[in-house]
Amino acid sequence: MKTKTDFPSINERTPEGRKPDGTSYRVLLVDDSMFVKKQIAQILSSEGFEIVGTASDGAEGLEKYKELYPNVDLVTMDITMPKMDGIASLEKIIEFDKNARVIMVSALGKQDLVKKALLIGAKNYIVKPLDRKKVLERVLLVLKKS
Amino acid sequence: MRVEYINPFVEAAFNILKEVLGTEITRGELYLKSSSQPVLGVTAIVGLTGDVEGRVLFDMSKETALAIASAMNGEEMTKLDDLAKATINELANMITAQSVTKLSDLGYKFNITPPAIFTGEKMEVSDVSIEALIVPIEMPLGKLEINVAVKEKD
Repeated sequence: MKTKTDFPSINERTPEGRKPDGTSYRVLLVDDSMFVKKQIAQILSSEGFEIVGTASDGAEGLEKYKELYPNVDLVTMDITMPKMDGIASLEKIIEFDKNARVIMVSALGKQDLVKKALLIGAKNYIVKPLDRKKVLERVLLVLKKS
Repeated sequence: MRVEYINPFVEAAFNILKEVLGTEITRGELYLKSSSQPVLGVTAIVGLTGDVEGRVLFDMSKETALAIASAMNGEEMTKLDDLAKATINELANMITAQSVTKLSDLGYKFNITPPAIFTGEKMEVSDVSIEALIVPIEMPLGKLEINVAVKEKD
């Protein structure tokens, strides 16, 4: 049965996490909270993004970024983390790859740190609690801009 | 303890719980406790230091903690495992962060510690020289008590 001609497709939309060439955008998640990591992973995977790595502190995040480079399109970076915080990790990642696309993930009340991160070179930020629409909007904004 | 310290915590808890759980929330009667008091079974603690100092507890039964964690993860959780604890931790983190923003808008400057979770039966908390104000929050998922003991730095 040729379903494509028998039934109109009601879901023509391609997932947001795909590049124009059809491959997935590759994302590295850096967050010390298992819950937040899972939440972001779920939101992004459901739109076709590929989670290529996760890290639980800034030092591990930096290491993973270097390992994955250049096969990584985006980093989501928590701010408060043990060992190396998100700001220091961001700084090191930008130092390594000045075109790195990093989005900060922060609880409310860290405005000063978010501002600092944006000055260092973070491309955008997301405030927790995470909202699916907001996360996708910010992520796509960053990816489509460049 | 001045009540202006506690309102930001209550407001923030309301906002965050409503947003992450999407349920009705009501506030019970405030009450004061000055000596040792029992805690409910799963307790997130956040320390404050600066213009005001003390600690805030987010206290709930294990059942309530699991119900909240299940709702926040969108899946049934029956054990208080690492993910469930990380979820309650994050809840406490978001509520405190928003409270601190409100308090800092009122002119109080201080820092907070990352939340830590205690679990167990028959636990008690004792605060020497600070009385604790308790705000019970009722939700369809169960009861959560915000237990605030802070004072201005001497």
